Amino acid sequence: MTPPLIAFLVATIIPVFFGKIRSAPFWLMLQAAAMAWNTAQHGDLSAHTAVAVIEVLVVRALIAPRLLRRAIARRGEPNLDLMPSNLFTWAIAIALVVLAFEFAAPAMSDRQALTLGAVGATVAVSLLLLSTNDGAPAQLVAVLFMENAIALFESLLPEPWPLPVHAALSAIYLLTVGVGGWLIATPDPATGPAEEASS
Amino acid sequence: MSTTASLARGGAAPTRAERLWVGPALVAFAVIAVLTWVTVFVRTPLAEMPRYFGGRYFVLDATSMLFLLVINSVFLGISVYMSSRISTSRVLARNLLPRTALTLAFMLAMNLGVMANHLLLLWAFIELTTLCAAPLVAQGDTAAPRRVAWHYLLYSSISLALTFLGIMCLTRSAHLHGLQISFMLDQMAQGITQPGDSWQRMGLALMLFGLGSKLGLAPLYSWMPETYEAAPTSTSALLAAVQFNISVVAVFRVLQVFRGQDTSFVSHELLIMGCLSLTVAAIQVMAARNYKRLIAYACVSSSGVIAIGLSVGKAAAYGVLLYIVSNAFVKALLFLTAGRLRAVYGSNEVRALSGVIRVLPFSGALFAVGIFALLGFPPFGSFMAEMLILSGIVQAGNLIAFTLMCTMLTIIFVATGRSIFPMIWGPPDRPRAPVTETWVTALPKLGFVAALILLGVYTPAPISALLVQVALSIGGQ
Repeated sequence: MTPPLIAFLVATIIPVFFGKIRSAPFWLMLQAAAMAWNTAQHGDLSAHTAVAVIEVLVVRALIAPRLLRRAIARRGEPNLDLMPSNLFTWAIAIALVVLAFEFAAPAMSDRQALTLGAVGATVAVSLLLLSTNDGAPAQLVAVLFMENAIALFESLLPEPWPLPVHAALSAIYLLTVGVGGWLIATPDPATGPAEEASS
Repeated sequence: MSTTASLARGGAAPTRAERLWVGPALVAFAVIAVLTWVTVFVRTPLAEMPRYFGGRYFVLDATSMLFLLVINSVFLGISVYMSSRISTSRVLARNLLPRTALTLAFMLAMNLGVMANHLLLLWAFIELTTLCAAPLVAQGDTAAPRRVAWHYLLYSSISLALTFLGIMCLTRSAHLHGLQISFMLDQMAQGITQPGDSWQRMGLALMLFGLGSKLGLAPLYSWMPETYEAAPTSTSALLAAVQFNISVVAVFRVLQVFRGQDTSFVSHELLIMGCLSLTVAAIQVMAARNYKRLIAYACVSSSGVIAIGLSVGKAAAYGVLLYIVSNAFVKALLFLTAGRLRAVYGSNEVRALSGVIRVLPFSGALFAVGIFALLGFPPFGSFMAEMLILSGIVQAGNLIAFTLMCTMLTIIFVATGRSIFPMIWGPPDRPRAPVTETWVTALPKLGFVAALILLGVYTPAPISALLVQVALSIGGQ
């Protein structure tokens, strides 16, 4: 397994087992750094690769974790576990990670199989996180993990995604954390007169 | 994030000058969009489609043309409604600029998404419309509108993640067979193996499951009633009558790519999701005592009918298209009229609006017309569409689906009538003076009614040809 993929998996699995909500931005940053490393390692020396690496670092490693940290801080909830710590959820999480790598079984080159395994493990763990924690910040973290998995999926393809697709996915990532962060950070206003919002 | 931040502050109150120009500007944008696409439609013969542009990332074909015409026509009505409400709704007036900006961004993403010729770009535009709509949903007046908006965003992200998992499976299938898959929709079929392997089938099933959830199909449907009820009325109309269609386009694109394949398992998946949705909707409509929620559950049942129709394919394809187009106008008509009722009565409860036709004769009558169109009465397009779908199901020999659909639609008809008809014609709980209604608020709704009658009685030849072309592209006869 290549070092960037190991780093990505560590940044996905460790927080699910041991991470707290407020440490989630750090793990997201680590995931993004691993993705940038992976892109740089496997991409050719071209402007496209450079733009892709810079985009991952700026959008996913810098701006998004900062927005998430601000949303979590504004919500002001206790710093709880990202996923409830009990043997049952741990067992399911481990089984899902193993299954994800089984999914990426033979008939593919080693790196492709491992990348697919990492993507599958991230998506599976994110879905588990969504089903075990009904707190909005943890749900947002799970969605962002899933979107990072989608971005990592690109390295599986023989040709990188065209820049417009890259730009669209980055914009969506940023908007997801921005809009999601705004929705979970601000309290619901008191209900006004019924007529008001029927617009 | 300045727009959402502005919404969070409750928006800075717009100046009188802003109030004067923002509404007409929104309507002007909608008029320009409709005129542009009508002109393009008139000047581009169907034989010359598809036309690619923007480095082949976008395409103008029969499918995109049909939905561009539908969504922009519906949006024209919604924009007139929003414009007319600026002077009477303080919340809308206070958040006027951010809401207008988000609505325009939503429409831009919708227009581009409908024309997308790249599967991932289409996926991105669907998500983008959701991200534009979520802050609009948060402007609603339920107990916790931001929580509802967050649920809406979350469900959408999960649905689209499932769709993406499907795309992953397709890629894996292509790799296993030494093929390179292109996500350009016009070239994607070349990367699809024949006969399809289990990865390909799983990919297709996941994609349709994810997109089906965006359509409000059971089992992942619960976001739909919750969101439609909680959102401001104009946003509910945008979601139900406009955004719904981009998910339909995505389903059509997938079906178009896999047209030459054995997709019988997809038919079964759509059939199960459709029947489940109809059953869920029938049960919930019986329990609904809130007219906005009732319309929302009717939307779930409409999605069920569409899924069953698509599962049959062939003979039902034209009926499905007619149903989708009719439904866009029906939902817009019902939600916009519901907004007017709510503005006067201040309640979503059916009981509170008893005898509404005496207080709001015009809106009450339009609501009744919308309900009849929703229930599939003649002479509306939805009647013709339901007949074609049912006839297609019979031709396909699926009598269980036929029986279930007829039974559930009858239950929905009886349950809706039991709630809505006393609301319209029943005795009022207290005397109220009739409210004057302006022609500006009525005009778009009358336009929707005219479109619905035209679709049911006489579909102009160019529109009919366009519908036939799209029906053929999804495997229709």
